[in-house]
Amino acid sequence: MSRIVVRDLTKVYGELPVVDSLTLDIEPGSFVSIIGPSGCGKTTLLRIVAGLEPATSGEVLLDDASPAEARSRKRVAMVPQAPGLLPWRTVQANARLLLDVNRSANPTEADDPDRLLHEVGLGDFLQAYPHELSGGMQQRVALVRALALHAPLVVMDEPFAALDEITRAEMRLMLTRLVDGRGATVLFITHSISEAVALSDRVLVSSSRPSRMVADIAIDLPRPRTAEVDDDPHFVELCAQVRHALHGGRA
Amino acid sequence: MNRRILAPVVGILAFLGLWEVLVRVNDVRPFILRAPSRIARYLVDNAADYASAALVTASHALGGLLIALVVALAVGSLMAASSFFEYATQPVLILLQVTPFVAYIGSVVLWLGSGTPPVLFITGLVCMPAFAFATVDGMRSADPATRELLASVDASRVEVLWRLRLPSALPSLFTAARYNVGLALIAAYLVEGGNFANEGLGNIGRRAAALNEGDALWAAIFAMALLGTIFLVLISVLQRVVLRWHVSQRPPRSGRG
Repeated sequence: MSRIVVRDLTKVYGELPVVDSLTLDIEPGSFVSIIGPSGCGKTTLLRIVAGLEPATSGEVLLDDASPAEARSRKRVAMVPQAPGLLPWRTVQANARLLLDVNRSANPTEADDPDRLLHEVGLGDFLQAYPHELSGGMQQRVALVRALALHAPLVVMDEPFAALDEITRAEMRLMLTRLVDGRGATVLFITHSISEAVALSDRVLVSSSRPSRMVADIAIDLPRPRTAEVDDDPHFVELCAQVRHALHGGRA
Repeated sequence: MNRRILAPVVGILAFLGLWEVLVRVNDVRPFILRAPSRIARYLVDNAADYASAALVTASHALGGLLIALVVALAVGSLMAASSFFEYATQPVLILLQVTPFVAYIGSVVLWLGSGTPPVLFITGLVCMPAFAFATVDGMRSADPATRELLASVDASRVEVLWRLRLPSALPSLFTAARYNVGLALIAAYLVEGGNFANEGLGNIGRRAAALNEGDALWAAIFAMALLGTIFLVLISVLQRVVLRWHVSQRPPRSGRG
């Protein structure tokens, strides 16, 4: 599990500031969601943390390593918005993709992707091709592909955005089950208030561009989180808190 | 019988039948156009000669295609990686495509000598551009989400090429291969004819033309058509195996979904 420390992070595209002197400290092993309006720079923040893009100024440290170092040591597992499965690889081979490249950096204790596929209910689909799967099943493969890396940091960029409501609820529960007890730090980007509250230990609410954190809400709901968490009055209350923060404090 | 096999057979038989009928009904003189039955008879009577010549031509065309493919993968990878290299190479590739290669067969034969080398050289040369363009297009079509994903674990350029870009180029490479089969066979035929080694269908064709032996010439043309058909069938089979994951290989869905 990684501690993520962000100090005075600024990212400017040409003249356009996307992230503006952002400072964050994320506890190792916690599940933190960032929620904010479209185009507020959340994805940019995530890409900087994952080492895919340099910051304009400021500093990001993942356990005292730069994102670029963490990336080359395969310590960041990414779940992109589109599943990005390779159509010529079977489900089983797709789940192994990230283990198949840059092998010298593979962790000693990588999780067995096949076992994870069974765990997410894809045990009967190991030899299937992506086009034979539903959207939810494809995204489950993408989830397994990331978790199989056994990386201390998992970053997810609206992984369920393209799914229908019912599938989304299932995926939420599945993600909780998979991540609970695995010990990884998770940085999760979403547009859904209930999803953020149901999954997280902490919800960070971003302003519109340039990204600043306007609220930092601790989610003290008990774990493990089940489907019933939605009916908890405290859950409803926390959702309202996030919603107010999102809309600039207006009630 | 399967419709995929039946339909082309019907198409060819209908074409040959129409040709036969038109020649007979109009009583066309043989030096203008022969009836297909007469050409077929000649081909069967001299089957051994034509079979061994066809084997030579087939290996020339196949060799040229493989050389073109290997060179094009290298050139295309560089083009996909560098837009400067791409812009610099494009006009040269077009030049290769539009130049009537018949014009320089003689020079190449003088340079490389007679026999197989000039045939492979020219066949490879003319088939290379289509493969190179297909490589560039296919590699560019690689899924950006997957590219980003591979970058997130610091995959090397070679790994990205091997795991993502080359497989992404396979569909367009097969399309180019279908186009190139005809070109490769014609190039092999013409260079064999302009060559001093007495082998291949091109050689039979050239001698027959020089001696005004119409039956022999038309039999060579039929043998070429047969070779082309066999090549296309082989490519289709290979495509079905290699691209079984691709949209183009899935059975059409019924309307009711």
